[in-house]
Amino acid sequence: MSTSTATRSPWPRRFRTTRRAILIGLLVAGGLLMMVPFLWMISTSLKTRAEVFAVPPTLFPARPRFENYAEMWDALPFAGFFVNSVKLALLNTVGQLISCSMAAYAFAALRFRFRGPLFGLLLVTLIIPFQVVLVPNFVLYRLLPHPLSTSGNWIGTQEPLWVGAFLGGAFGTFLLRQFFLSIPRELGDAARVDGANPWQIYRSIYLPLGKPALATLAIFTFMWSWNDFINPIIYLRDVESFTLTAGLSLFQGQYVGKWPLLMAGALVSVIPMIILFVVAQRQFVRGIAMTGIKG
Amino acid sequence: MTSLRRPAARRGGPLGGEGRWALLFLAPTILGLTVLSAGPILATLGISLTKWDLLRPPQFVGFDNFVQLAHDDRFLKALRNTIFYTVVSVPLGLTVSLGLALALNQTIRGIAWIRTAYFLPVVTSTIAIALVWQWIYAPDAGLLNQVLGLVGIPGRKWLIDPTLAMPSIVIMSVWQGLGTNIIIFLAGLQAIPSELLDAASVDGAGRWARFRNVVLPLLTPSMFFTGVLSLIGSFQVFDQIYVLSRPRPTDATITVVYFIYENGFKFFKMGYASAASWILFIIVAVFTAVYFRSQGRWVHYQ
Repeated sequence: MSTSTATRSPWPRRFRTTRRAILIGLLVAGGLLMMVPFLWMISTSLKTRAEVFAVPPTLFPARPRFENYAEMWDALPFAGFFVNSVKLALLNTVGQLISCSMAAYAFAALRFRFRGPLFGLLLVTLIIPFQVVLVPNFVLYRLLPHPLSTSGNWIGTQEPLWVGAFLGGAFGTFLLRQFFLSIPRELGDAARVDGANPWQIYRSIYLPLGKPALATLAIFTFMWSWNDFINPIIYLRDVESFTLTAGLSLFQGQYVGKWPLLMAGALVSVIPMIILFVVAQRQFVRGIAMTGIKG
Repeated sequence: MTSLRRPAARRGGPLGGEGRWALLFLAPTILGLTVLSAGPILATLGISLTKWDLLRPPQFVGFDNFVQLAHDDRFLKALRNTIFYTVVSVPLGLTVSLGLALALNQTIRGIAWIRTAYFLPVVTSTIAIALVWQWIYAPDAGLLNQVLGLVGIPGRKWLIDPTLAMPSIVIMSVWQGLGTNIIIFLAGLQAIPSELLDAASVDGAGRWARFRNVVLPLLTPSMFFTGVLSLIGSFQVFDQIYVLSRPRPTDATITVVYFIYENGFKFFKMGYASAASWILFIIVAVFTAVYFRSQGRWVHYQ
């Protein structure tokens, strides 16, 4: 509730201050509770094998063991996983930005037959879980020839993990269309009178003005790709081609119960997303809120 | 292409009006819909009527796969677990996040930092998060049993005990999903005009009355939207099952998506996995349709 209403609250002033202090205290406590798994992850990642099983548990390791990180890093080709995750996340982001912005421009600014039904079909796919089409997608990629793959087709390559991003997407198209609709049509009409074609209008008006929404889509796509798990474990075969999520799961299977190493691996894989979130928190929040309000 | 002819002159193209341009801009999307999303839904139905291991050509078997699924205990457990997960995690997640959003909707210094703590789990991968929770739930020296031990409660095998395994996974998932709902609720709360609240106060409405009669009705669109997101997401639960139920989910924790993954990509029973996918599709469609139809009864659009 806004401050203007708080001043008119029927509660006595002293009582209100106490209430507020309790509320803030609870919020801080709740925030700390939310952070417990992260703190526990950091703490465990620096413990010795013996201290991990200490009773009662310690938050600050008696002697932080940074060697856990070196051991973890050498146990599996984590540097390679990192590169693969970055590469795939960037390819997915570029693909979604291009293909979704083009579709969103068409739906927001062009008039054509079947616009409504086509947009409706796209919205329907927004509701369908992508796991429903895992089998046909796998079958399709298995039919596509690949010169560098040992299987001869796309299975076992990274291609199925990013090529689809260049073929549009319901979430991104919807998000950008909502934003493009708020760009005054007169801008495009004026450019058209000056002889600009739709492609030029898209490039010189909609893309520059759409930057905030494009930034939001970029961050969401990057995060989605970075955290994707089921697709990498279905399509990737060689450990060298693994992403961080697939690599972490392999690591979990091989180092059962070696919690300090496992936690070090988990922490290394989440740090890039945490940094991205802290830097771009505004875009994250706006993205969720934007689709939320207008949905 | 700097022709001065208005595109209207091209009326009557393949899609009418600015059809040619639209076709150009929509080419990637139309291809994607055809081969990757909408088209494959029909393909799933076709494959579900066959027996196919990818090595030999598919064999048409009619509705055999569906009949077999109806008698497959593991599939029935997967269905039951997925529905349990949905029915518990969606209302729980919505209620807790609504309460938190109301509390977080304050103008005090440092509130942004507190909010960040609630949002952080959303952006981190479920795989890494589930790994931490596996350690929290560990029977020997896991944090949860240690803390319970300090107050004299005996530890449990959270992820192994069949009655506790699914609730434990629900708790982790609710914790991870709170942030998304909170952001949507906060946006909804901040969109409520303060004049409305002021007017209600002037009319003598107390805190509770204002919440019940002004805030809550205006928040129903946000509640509807978070509900859709949570509902669809809950039917897709897979990553945390994979990590927390190592080496392989027991009947207590298997979900429909895990069942599809296991049959399609471990056993290469493509027809069987497709039949399960089609059932998942129908369940999600029915739940979503019922939810959308309920909209008129409780969602108030301004």
